Amino acid sequence: MDKLKIADKEFDSRLLIGTGKYASNDIMAGAVAAAGAEIVTVALRRVDIDNENDDLLAAIDRTKYLLLPNTSGARDAEEAIRLARLARAASGINWVKLEVTPDPYYLLPDGSETLKAAETLVKDGFVVLPYINADPILAKKLQDVGTATVMPLASPIGSNQGLKTGDSIEIIIEQATVPVVVDAGLGLPSHAAEAMEMGADAVLVNTAIATAGDPVGMAIAFRRATEAGRLAFNSGPAGTGGGAVASSPLTGFLRNE
Amino acid sequence: MTLILKINGVDKGFADDRTPENLSELLDDLGISQATVVAEIDGLIINRKDFARTPLQPGQAIELVRFVGGG
Repeated sequence: MDKLKIADKEFDSRLLIGTGKYASNDIMAGAVAAAGAEIVTVALRRVDIDNENDDLLAAIDRTKYLLLPNTSGARDAEEAIRLARLARAASGINWVKLEVTPDPYYLLPDGSETLKAAETLVKDGFVVLPYINADPILAKKLQDVGTATVMPLASPIGSNQGLKTGDSIEIIIEQATVPVVVDAGLGLPSHAAEAMEMGADAVLVNTAIATAGDPVGMAIAFRRATEAGRLAFNSGPAGTGGGAVASSPLTGFLRNE
Repeated sequence: MTLILKINGVDKGFADDRTPENLSELLDDLGISQATVVAEIDGLIINRKDFARTPLQPGQAIELVRFVGGG
C-alpha cells in the first residue's frame, strides 16, 4: 500500500481512530491496535478534582501512535486556539485536529471561525488538521492558509449515517493539494471503503468502532475496508454503464441457431 | 490567611497550615498525577517543568486539564 503523508510524517495506515466512547481504556487500546492505526485522536477536558481520573495516556503507547489532540468543545476560534495551545503543552507535539462546533445539536463545524483559528495556529507553528463541512471553497481556503489536511464530514458526527456528502467530497478531493481525511458519520466499513474508493486519502472513525458490540472485530473490519478502498482507488475502478455487457463470451453456445 | 483559589471554576480554600506553596504542591495536595496534567493560571499556560517554581497567589483562576477519550 502506498504511504499516507501528512506534513512531514509518513504513515502506513490510512485509518485514524478516535478514542472516545469506549467502555474501557483496555478495549480502546485493543481496538486501536486491531485497526492498525498510527494516529489516534484525544480530547482535552478539565480534571475532576474530586474524583480519581482514568489516565488515558497510560493506555496509549506514544512510541507507536501519534497523538492528535482535538479542540472539541470549542465554540469559536478563540476557544479553539486556547485548547490547541493547552493540548500542545500537554502532548509535547504541535499537531492539532481543529474543530469549532458552536451548534450543540448537530455539532456541525463553523467554517469562518475554523478558518480564522487555522490561520493563527499555522502561524504559531501548529500542524493543523481542520474538521469541516464538505465545503470545497472552504477546503481550498484552508489549504491556502497552510493546513496539513482537510477533514470533511461524511454526515453528522456520531450519526453513523455514512457518506451523505459524497458529491461535495469528490470536488474537495479533485481540488485538494493536501490529504483529504473523511471524518465523522462513517458508520460501517462499507462507508469507509466508499470514501477511500472515491480517492479520500484517509478516514477517521470513532463511534462506529467504539460502540460496536465487539469493537476489536469492528476495528479489523474497518481496517480491511479502508485498505480495500485504497487498493481499489489505486487500481483504477472500471467504468459504469447503462446496459448489460456480458462478462462471458457470446459465442460457442451449446445450441444451434 | 486562608488561600482561596478558583480551581476549574470552583473556589477552593486551603487552611494556613496546609497551604500549597506552588503549583506542584497543589497537585500533590489534590492527588493529581503531574505527568499527565497541564495547567493554566489566569489564562497563562504553565509548562509541566515549571510547576514546582510557580508560586500561588490568592484569587488565581487555575485550570487543570488532561487528555480524555475523544474523536
